[in-house]
Amino acid sequence: MSDFQILIESILQLLITGVLVGALYGMMCVGLAMIFGIMRVINFAQGDFMMLGMYATYFAFGAFGIQAFFGAELGAYVAVIAAAPAMLLFGWIIHRLMIRRVTGTRTAGMEADGHYAQLILTLGIALILQNGAMILFGADLISIRTPLSSEAWAIEPFGESMPVLLFFNKSRVLTALFSAAAIIALWMLIQRTFLGKSLRAAADNAEAATYMGINVDKAHRIAFAIGTAVTAMAGGLLATNYPFSPFVGLEYVIIMYAGVVLGGIGSIIGAFWGGMLIGLIQQFSTLALPTQLQNATIFVCFLLVVMLRPQGLFGRNVERT
Amino acid sequence: MLEIEDITAGYSSSIAVLHGISIRIGQGQFISVVGPNGAGKTTLFKAISGTIPLRGGRIRYEGQDISNLEPSRRPHLGIAHVPEGRQVFPSMTVLENLEMGAATEKGRQEWKQNLERIYTWFPVLKERAGQHAGTLSGGQQQMLAIGRGLASSPKVLMLDEPSMGLAPSIADLVFEKMIEIRRDIGLSILLVEQRVAEALQFADRGYVLETGRIVLEGDGERLKADDRVRQAYLGM
Amino acid sequence: MNMAVLKSIRVFFALALAYMVLASFVTNSYYQLIMTLVLIWAIFGLSWNIFSGYTGLVSFGHASFFGIGAFATVLAQIFWGLSPWLMFFISGGIGALAGVLIGFPTFKLRGHYFALSMLAYPLALMYVFQWLGFPEVSIPRVTDNPAAYMQFSDGRIYTLIAMVFLCAVVVLSRAIEASRFGMALIAIKQNEAAAEAAGIDTLRWKLKAIALSGGIAAMAGSLYAVVILVITPQSVFGMLVSAQALTVTMFGGAGTLWGPIIGSAFLIPIAEILHAELGNFLPGIQGVVYGIAIVVLITAAPEGMFWKVRDWLRSGRGETLAASAEETPTATVTPLPARETRDLNPEIVLDVRNMSKNFGGLKAVQDVSFKVNKGMILGIIGPNGAGKTTLFNLLNGFQLPSEGEVYVDGVNMARRKPHELCHAGVGRTFQIMRPFTRMSVRDNVKVGSYVTAKDEAEAEAIADNALRQVGLSHIAHQLAGGLSTKDLRLMELARALAGRPHILLLDETLAGLGKEEAVEVVAVIRRLSASGVTVVIIEHTMHAMVQLVDRFLVLDHGQVVTEGLPQDVTRDARVIEAYLGKKWVANA
Repeated sequence: MSDFQILIESILQLLITGVLVGALYGMMCVGLAMIFGIMRVINFAQGDFMMLGMYATYFAFGAFGIQAFFGAELGAYVAVIAAAPAMLLFGWIIHRLMIRRVTGTRTAGMEADGHYAQLILTLGIALILQNGAMILFGADLISIRTPLSSEAWAIEPFGESMPVLLFFNKSRVLTALFSAAAIIALWMLIQRTFLGKSLRAAADNAEAATYMGINVDKAHRIAFAIGTAVTAMAGGLLATNYPFSPFVGLEYVIIMYAGVVLGGIGSIIGAFWGGMLIGLIQQFSTLALPTQLQNATIFVCFLLVVMLRPQGLFGRNVERT
Repeated sequence: MLEIEDITAGYSSSIAVLHGISIRIGQGQFISVVGPNGAGKTTLFKAISGTIPLRGGRIRYEGQDISNLEPSRRPHLGIAHVPEGRQVFPSMTVLENLEMGAATEKGRQEWKQNLERIYTWFPVLKERAGQHAGTLSGGQQQMLAIGRGLASSPKVLMLDEPSMGLAPSIADLVFEKMIEIRRDIGLSILLVEQRVAEALQFADRGYVLETGRIVLEGDGERLKADDRVRQAYLGM
Repeated sequence: MNMAVLKSIRVFFALALAYMVLASFVTNSYYQLIMTLVLIWAIFGLSWNIFSGYTGLVSFGHASFFGIGAFATVLAQIFWGLSPWLMFFISGGIGALAGVLIGFPTFKLRGHYFALSMLAYPLALMYVFQWLGFPEVSIPRVTDNPAAYMQFSDGRIYTLIAMVFLCAVVVLSRAIEASRFGMALIAIKQNEAAAEAAGIDTLRWKLKAIALSGGIAAMAGSLYAVVILVITPQSVFGMLVSAQALTVTMFGGAGTLWGPIIGSAFLIPIAEILHAELGNFLPGIQGVVYGIAIVVLITAAPEGMFWKVRDWLRSGRGETLAASAEETPTATVTPLPARETRDLNPEIVLDVRNMSKNFGGLKAVQDVSFKVNKGMILGIIGPNGAGKTTLFNLLNGFQLPSEGEVYVDGVNMARRKPHELCHAGVGRTFQIMRPFTRMSVRDNVKVGSYVTAKDEAEAEAIADNALRQVGLSHIAHQLAGGLSTKDLRLMELARALAGRPHILLLDETLAGLGKEEAVEVVAVIRRLSASGVTVVIIEHTMHAMVQLVDRFLVLDHGQVVTEGLPQDVTRDARVIEAYLGKKWVANA
């Protein structure tokens, strides 16, 4: 194969992997966007919610016999769905007990509108979750291995004229499809249902929403619960390809924030594309940089976006009062 | 129907903005509240809606004491608040904004009729039903805000400075519509306005607020010609 | 000054001595290590406090500096054989430089962007160091003259070194607290715009603060590396490290000297002992303890233990913070006679020409021109949205005009920064003030005096004078936390006066005041005017204004409608129209 063909193959492969990985990142980011975008709450523990989702999925898969019932391949995905209600409840409780003390109208008198209190509180929650998980589950790496994660579809898109071989990892493809389906479902919820519209209204203007008879506190709680569950499911999907430990959350927190900020705060769809873009950037950065610096690249992206174009690609320019 | 009895309210525990305000709005009445900036007019509306707490006094609605009622419950009773500065939901369409207005129980029941009537009063909203509210002009947003308030099937409509920031001709138009609506459905209206003559002209009763107190009240027609109103605004 | 500073920390030195005596009895090497670590984390907490505690800009990334100091020290010894004695100080320099490099771009960000960015730096550094091939580095053992390389077999010597370091940082912190530096930082925390208007170059002070903070944090990291012997990127750049600085300080109480010390003395031993005893079957117990401490803290005692205990002690002794003044009926104030028309001094001190400001398509201020005579009181009035505050911001340097000039005493100051205008003699008050509630009234005012004062004594004298001018001398030492709105407004005024301006821009000074209170404040302003200060005031409270001003300038839709004597302006048809509407005028 000529150098040119190798280059084409590398680029296309990176593109494919980038899109597949990006779809999953997009889903994670959408979970964060529900929280950060709608409530403007900085949830530092978002990555750890994801981690909890991974463990929840793992236990649903193995412990509750889902694997036995649905088989090793589909079972993983069923487990992801099965873990979701538990994560919804978890998010609901966390908001009710702790988060709402540092958000909303209560924060009018606090320093920087309660932002610092939010960061500090969620930092505390993150520490408890990470280290608590370590105590409960140990520090060993585990994963939800399915036979699909090591199989791939091989395609020669250009036929015999150009022998370029592209691989589509089966597990990743299924994950990406699942993510896409989840995003579409969420999008329909936000755009079409009354609940979704009340969430958007509460995000646009909390006071006016109250004048409409919408209970903004409750709306925020629902958004928080959904955001937790979506990110947690994304974690469960991630676990089908990568091993994880209690500290996995930290790596992905910055990816999530970078994606949300890149897509534009306040835009759920933007967050998805932001996550997708981050996935692509991460893959393509391997062309020039060693793998360990991939995450450093994402930091740099984050800092650049925040400094040069804080409203992101799709963000609303109007800062909500 | 809506009785504000001797209320004291403010934004923080040490500063009271309103001192001992009493206002009565009867069935189908048009009440205007005027006064200079900082007098507490918007604060009054927020106290009625419950977004700031009362520190003294009571608010009664249809005989019930609602002073401690959760703010998001009050619209369901029939108190609609069209806030200062329109405050439409900018990222949502005109129709979606109106749908949000119909979030109350009664509003949902009567949605179809209400929507038809709103479109009749404000044809421009029908034309632009799919447009994002943030891109509408000031006057159109004001009409949307009023339509949104009406969509809740209210018994009392509170309007906070609807003419603010609008060109005089547009403000006139909005005002005319308001009179028309009132005639059509016999709504009670509580209006806060900068344009004093217009506010007092059609009002059954007018109140002049200054530094958180009512300094003048009376028949709309008579207040219109009272120089003390000018003094309340300009100090001398 | 130094003697006063040392005197105020007598208690600390006494405790330090007691601690060292206690330490001398500890023979178990693990407990010796804990004794040292408590001190190191206290230092780290103090370094965090110097920046975040005082300015209010919460940094979640102080691990950047800590880790840089640690790695620099270890790597320098490994590759170049440099002694930690030397690297200790060099780390300080590197840390300070890192502070400036990080601070400069990041200070432009606001709110959550700032916090998130600060978080990103140590995490990025962690990955970089992992990539550079340092998953774990240890200090090489030196057998020949180990003392020259800070290697001692007796752990108590490290405790001594750490204590000396801590004492130095404590003295430094106290000196800063009491100095201009500390005042500037606190002013920035209260209201950055007001600080700028009071003559403080906020960017410069923030950079100084982060440089100092970063330097000390790096030195703490350096010592940490020497004591702990083995470091990994995770252990010095990790989230737990940044969290520790935060938690330890906040637990004790941010913005105070004692906060980090109390927090460290309390939390570190608990966490370390739990880790030692239970670490085997409960790995990560440290993190859980910190997490719980943070959550409990934020929900129950957001200001920290120090303040809670002090408040509790104070209330026990009957020294409560003055109860917030309700609307108590003030002694009947004889209302001032209506302002007689005065002849104006011919000298013009403020000359505004053709001032305009556009925001995109919106013309907030259009072609505004007026002159202010020396000693005059000019009231700028107009309906809501008329452009009054924008005009002030233009005069004060907070906004750049699209067009136009401003001449202060004949010098064109149109495009200068706020603190330059302050130096030129233009003072300003703000509507929203967040006084430092735990400082005395006089200290709050002192911030404003640093513009012209050469030293502490002069600053205090100026502050006292300003307090006398507004009539607050009797509560000079009271904590600002319990003041009534009227007294807060007067304190704001005093602070602006402390800059010894000859032109005062007052922004809605009477807002939120009752009728009697407004009359009192008006009396104060009239006295100021009599003493030679020129006053320009924006207000809505007309009944007070008509008693106060010499002339009115009426704005509507960003343009000048008219100007003149109060009795003429309040009957001018155009002004009445602006306030009450066209139709009112038509009917009249």
